[in-house]
Amino acid sequence: MNKLLKTMSFILVGILAVESIFASEVNLYTSRHYDTDDALYEDFTSETGIKVNIISGKGKALMQRIRSEGKNSPADIFITVDAANLWKLQKDGFFQSISSDRIQESVPSNLRGPNNEWVALAKRSRVIFYNPKKISKMQIRKLSYEDLADSKWRGKIAIRSSNNIYNQSLVASLIANHGIEETEKWAKGFVANFSRKPQGNDRAQIIAVANGEAEIAIANSYYFGLMLSGKKGLEQKKSAQKVSMHFPSQTGRGTHINISGAGILKNAPNSSNATKLLEYLLTNKAQKHIVNNTYEYPVISVVRPNKVMSQFGRNFKEDQTSVSEYGKLNPDAVRLMDRVGWK
Amino acid sequence: MILKINSLDLWKIIPIIIFITFVSPVAIVLFSLTGDYSENWLHLIEYVLTGYIINSSILVLGVSLITLIIGVGTAWLISNYEFSGKRFFEWALILPLAVPPYILAYTFTGLFDAYGSVNNLIRDIFSFKDSYIFFPSVRNIYGAIIVFSFTLYPYVYLASRMAFLNQSKSILESGKVLGLDKIKVFFNLALPMVRPAVIGGLMLVIMETLSDFGAVDHFAIETFTTGIFRTWYGMYDLQTAMQLASLLLIFITFFIVVERYSRKNVSYAGNSSVYGEIKSIQVFGINNLLCFGACGIPLFIGFILPIIELLNWTYNYKLDFFEGVFIRNSLNTIYLAISAALICSISALLINFSIRFTKNKFLSFLSSTLTLGYAVPGLILAIGVMKLLTFLDLNFFSHYLELILTGSIAGLIIAYIIKSYALASSVIEAGYQRIGSNIDDVSITLKNTGLKLLGRVHLPLLKTSFLTSILLVVSEVIKELPATLILRPFNFDTLAVSTYIYASEERMFEAAAPAIAIVLVGLIPIIFLTRMIRESRPGSQNRNVNNA
Repeated sequence: MNKLLKTMSFILVGILAVESIFASEVNLYTSRHYDTDDALYEDFTSETGIKVNIISGKGKALMQRIRSEGKNSPADIFITVDAANLWKLQKDGFFQSISSDRIQESVPSNLRGPNNEWVALAKRSRVIFYNPKKISKMQIRKLSYEDLADSKWRGKIAIRSSNNIYNQSLVASLIANHGIEETEKWAKGFVANFSRKPQGNDRAQIIAVANGEAEIAIANSYYFGLMLSGKKGLEQKKSAQKVSMHFPSQTGRGTHINISGAGILKNAPNSSNATKLLEYLLTNKAQKHIVNNTYEYPVISVVRPNKVMSQFGRNFKEDQTSVSEYGKLNPDAVRLMDRVGWK
Repeated sequence: MILKINSLDLWKIIPIIIFITFVSPVAIVLFSLTGDYSENWLHLIEYVLTGYIINSSILVLGVSLITLIIGVGTAWLISNYEFSGKRFFEWALILPLAVPPYILAYTFTGLFDAYGSVNNLIRDIFSFKDSYIFFPSVRNIYGAIIVFSFTLYPYVYLASRMAFLNQSKSILESGKVLGLDKIKVFFNLALPMVRPAVIGGLMLVIMETLSDFGAVDHFAIETFTTGIFRTWYGMYDLQTAMQLASLLLIFITFFIVVERYSRKNVSYAGNSSVYGEIKSIQVFGINNLLCFGACGIPLFIGFILPIIELLNWTYNYKLDFFEGVFIRNSLNTIYLAISAALICSISALLINFSIRFTKNKFLSFLSSTLTLGYAVPGLILAIGVMKLLTFLDLNFFSHYLELILTGSIAGLIIAYIIKSYALASSVIEAGYQRIGSNIDDVSITLKNTGLKLLGRVHLPLLKTSFLTSILLVVSEVIKELPATLILRPFNFDTLAVSTYIYASEERMFEAAAPAIAIVLVGLIPIIFLTRMIRESRPGSQNRNVNNA
């Protein structure tokens, strides 16, 4: 029966393998699974005739699969929603340098790997949401992440669990700027200000502010866009309308930015197709599709954010801390959050 | 040559080959214990490990207690009393098995969060203020205990129900004649006799609870499993994560050993007992109502409630799922589930047969080790499978093609088999325990050995157990997510995968349609299962196992 199993899989995989030798295709391992992205891949296929094969999964698990498969891995492109993952693969030498003048011209250098090992596909900022009835514009105007450790916010802040990679990156960016010791002091004060045990996703934090469970929430910008657009139902739209968005640290370092990005693997069997796909994802057309469907920020300057997002300001100051730092400091950030009891 | 090997040896060799293939991924996980221990261990011990252990222990204790009460209690009522809806509950009580714990967790937060459907409804009905919250938060360990208990109790119910059905009626009746009241009959006679079966079911519940990630992660409870993934994802330390997983396995092994030891000296195989047809006692009035409630509540919480909420979401947000994608993903799911279930059940049958036939202690040890697969968190198990496959590919197949096994359906099926061997084996083992050993002696005298003994004598007697095993594995595979996600081939989705794609972003409304599909497809084997239980009732046409 083992034999049967092997024969069965032999035949199946054989068919797949033969297919892969003859078809023009590109293989994608992605942890970015928005179904609106599928429309982009379909459009790419219809433009170029290159078929896009997809395995979606959790970033770290896909990275482990790439590692195990080694030089035989069929993966051409790895896409993730967090810069730390890109840094890790880059550091371990899994990426090749993306050779595309078009990409280098259109994407600013801080949104690419040091030697073009990866490139950002979209930006997101981690911002503050507040209830304008309880907190005035004046109070919030100069608010930075660092200020949130102040005891005047005791019992007023909602944020999700420290298992979440966006929180880990935020803390890593603070460590990059202030060092571990000072960040730990900050985190102690910050955790003491939580209005409830961390729970739910980013949207749940925004809803907590709308419902009065908290006065301030920290969440990624695009979730707010999704809620306001009405795509998540009338109830979420109503909640979002009760809430305002603030870009923290505008008078200081700037607002924390993270990226969704991609790299081409060193042993990619279809690397020229892979470059074509990345170039496509960075065209005006594709970037417009992304910003209008996921409410992320574009990475090329000629495309504007969706109206829902740009009403809160288009030219906010971005934290220039290199996104690579997030990856490097991520383990420190996690241990720090364990120590201060951020659940 | 094989021809030279006599049949006794063959029955040792086959299971050992099966074993080596399937147990190596678990061994790969355990092998991490021999590697380096990183400095993260100091951090874990100082800050978080105690919390993980305490939370996991509370979870297991709570879930064990509630599943025992529900599972054994409802099985006892159904086996001994006649009350309104009994015929319905007899099979309906298994339905929650079709609902994966993570899906119940999602619907629970949708229903009971401060601004979830139920609290909103109560505010609307009674025109309370927006700040009024009727139901307390479920995002805590008590919520998790409820979620696991009400989705997993069917394992205990099934085991107890089978055991009560096969229980010697005469002993219970003698008890009554000798003046024991109903409660004493239950605790002093009925319960001890079904203990091994019940504990077998409970072990499955415990292993599933400990290996789950989806539900505890959703409720943000720090358990051993969430700790494993935090260490891997957050600290980039897969080695330590696998060591943590190994500790979990050692912990469970301890349970298994204690359980085996505790029933070692007791033989439960009924050889000559008189099985009278069960005469249920008719109950009326308040007792009737109580029985109805006792069976209705678990069914309501574990099945009806989540279905209502999922239907509500589907209706409001995403009906177009039930089109092409749905059919393709369902077919993928069913295809995988049936292949894995067949191979897994046949393996379990062969291994258990060999253990019985050769009385080989080593084999029995191997079987218990493979049982551990059920307790490995799916994704960690997947890492083990991946390492095995890439190893095989690089060493045996790389001359011909690049990666044959890695990223193939075979990888998925191997993972499923390891993950659900415990289910198959526990059912088949229990089946074997009910077959007296005198049958083997007679058969061997008649020169029925090896395959003949298995095929002509055992298989007909084990038919019910074998089918039950297939159905349990099918329903497990349909729900399996983490290993599927990482081991699957390109462009290959199952129902659980499409649920995850939405649920990972907590886009629950969109996840509802595939979630309902999981439940619906999962119902198919469960409906078969319930029909079989009915037919296997002593006194019905199939008097197979008991009167042998």
